[in-house]
Amino acid sequence: MKWRHHSLTLVPAFNTPRLRSLTRYAGLCLGLAPLTLYLAALTLVPVSSTLLLSLQTPQGDWGLAAYRAIISHYQFGEAVANTLLVTALGLGLELALGLAAALALTERRRALGWVRIALLVPLGVPTIVAASAMRYIFGTVGYLNEVLYRLGVIDLPIDWTGSRWLAVVTVAVADAWKVTPLVMLILLAGLQAIPRQLYEAARTDGATPWQQFRRITLPLLRPAITMALIVRGVDAFRIFALPLALTGRNLPVLSTYAYVEYLEYGNPHTAAASSTLLLLMILVAVAAYLKLAGREEALR
Amino acid sequence: MRSLRVPFLLVMVLFAAAPLYGLLKISLSPPGEVMTAHPTLVPHGITWRHWQRVIESGQIGAPLRKSLLVASGTTALALLLAGPAAYSLVQLPLRWRYGVLIGLFLCRMLPEVSVAMPIAVVFLRWGLMDTALGLTLAHLPMALPVAAWVLTTAFGNIPRDVEEAAALDGCNLWRTLAYVIIPLALPGVIVAALLVWLLSWEEFVLATYLTLGDKTMPLQVYYYLYQGNAFVTAVAAVIMTVPVLLLSALLQRFIRETSLAGVVR
Repeated sequence: MKWRHHSLTLVPAFNTPRLRSLTRYAGLCLGLAPLTLYLAALTLVPVSSTLLLSLQTPQGDWGLAAYRAIISHYQFGEAVANTLLVTALGLGLELALGLAAALALTERRRALGWVRIALLVPLGVPTIVAASAMRYIFGTVGYLNEVLYRLGVIDLPIDWTGSRWLAVVTVAVADAWKVTPLVMLILLAGLQAIPRQLYEAARTDGATPWQQFRRITLPLLRPAITMALIVRGVDAFRIFALPLALTGRNLPVLSTYAYVEYLEYGNPHTAAASSTLLLLMILVAVAAYLKLAGREEALR
Repeated sequence: MRSLRVPFLLVMVLFAAAPLYGLLKISLSPPGEVMTAHPTLVPHGITWRHWQRVIESGQIGAPLRKSLLVASGTTALALLLAGPAAYSLVQLPLRWRYGVLIGLFLCRMLPEVSVAMPIAVVFLRWGLMDTALGLTLAHLPMALPVAAWVLTTAFGNIPRDVEEAAALDGCNLWRTLAYVIIPLALPGVIVAALLVWLLSWEEFVLATYLTLGDKTMPLQVYYYLYQGNAFVTAVAAVIMTVPVLLLSALLQRFIRETSLAGVVR
């Protein structure tokens, strides 16, 4: 309707329904084209050229040499495992804390509104700032050790990023600090969409709060949980600044592996291969999500 | 369960606030309170020494300027590109609209490392490496899906009747846009602008790949962190967080306004 104002339509011969809809679609395409073309040029083209680069050797031959090289590199296996571990642990933490916070905040009360705003603050804090703060919390002479010492839990300071397993936990906690609010928001929206009558009916039937949670909240919240998992999962796969800033090079993940291969060792091919494998992992996760979400919609 | 709610929320608020409090405290603490086996948790003395040192070092002005420039440039360009696209999208059938929006979000999910490397290679050739313009162009693909999504929602909330009334009153497309659509969608436009600005302000991966010497704020904070001086790092981190907190407050206000506006109309 809106593109009817096109000057051509003022001429009666051009003002036929067919031409009107044609000019309209031309207008729509004109509006969409700059964004689409720009995005294609600066995402799809680079991603494809990374893919092609990963299939070449420095000598310019085609083949899987780069993939063979990284797969036999011990740090690559470690990077894949670390990425998966940080993702799993981080998502678990974020989901547990986010769900608990969302449940605690569902009632619309003024005081809770303030709590919600306070809980949202970390979401806006830049990742590198979060990393700096976490470095002084998890440092050997950091605040966590000091608090634990004063509580009498430990006598000697713990080196939180010293061993690989502790480093994974530290990075996952740091990540959870920043993004749990996002999970909370998604789940809060899901909770508020559940009709209250369901709970009233369950109460009259004598259901306990736990039964209400198991039989009503959790099943109806599933789409929101899946959504939170995929949005966060994809971000966690790409985690970069936190492991780098918190552990230096001690905890390689897929993104930082690609970065080190390219900028330190000057090997664009192996860097491209590991980036492409990361892309593959993300695509698998997204496809799984679309399949799950699709099935849920079909069930409804 | 009920009785656990207040203590749980209290712990969560503490968990959310503690790291920021820690940074602020370090940036204002005399070295004796931090560089010890048992750092103090409450400030005993306050000093502006570290702030003075960072500001006088002259290392913070250039990154601050570059980050401000890149974030503002990305915001302006993102609105310029996503605005017409969103306005076209709301006129498409719902199926198509969501198809395009999901496509945009898939673009957003690509790993930055596989986008950044080829861009770095091309920018090196074009002389865009290390420039604010180059980084702006690289931040744009990340910002566009967000801007397009928010603007599509904002434009979609405006009833068709309003536009048709404007057309009947003789407004052409540009006048309708300038006097009807954009004013009505303004809260949404502001939300899109703020989100994009914040996204670009804190972006780290692309900045790492596209910078040789002329650092942005996140890279400057990382540089300080890498050097290991807690005080200087804390000051830079706090400087970086101040605009974020201000804009987040604004963001919350306008997000409320957009959702409220949707209900009232």
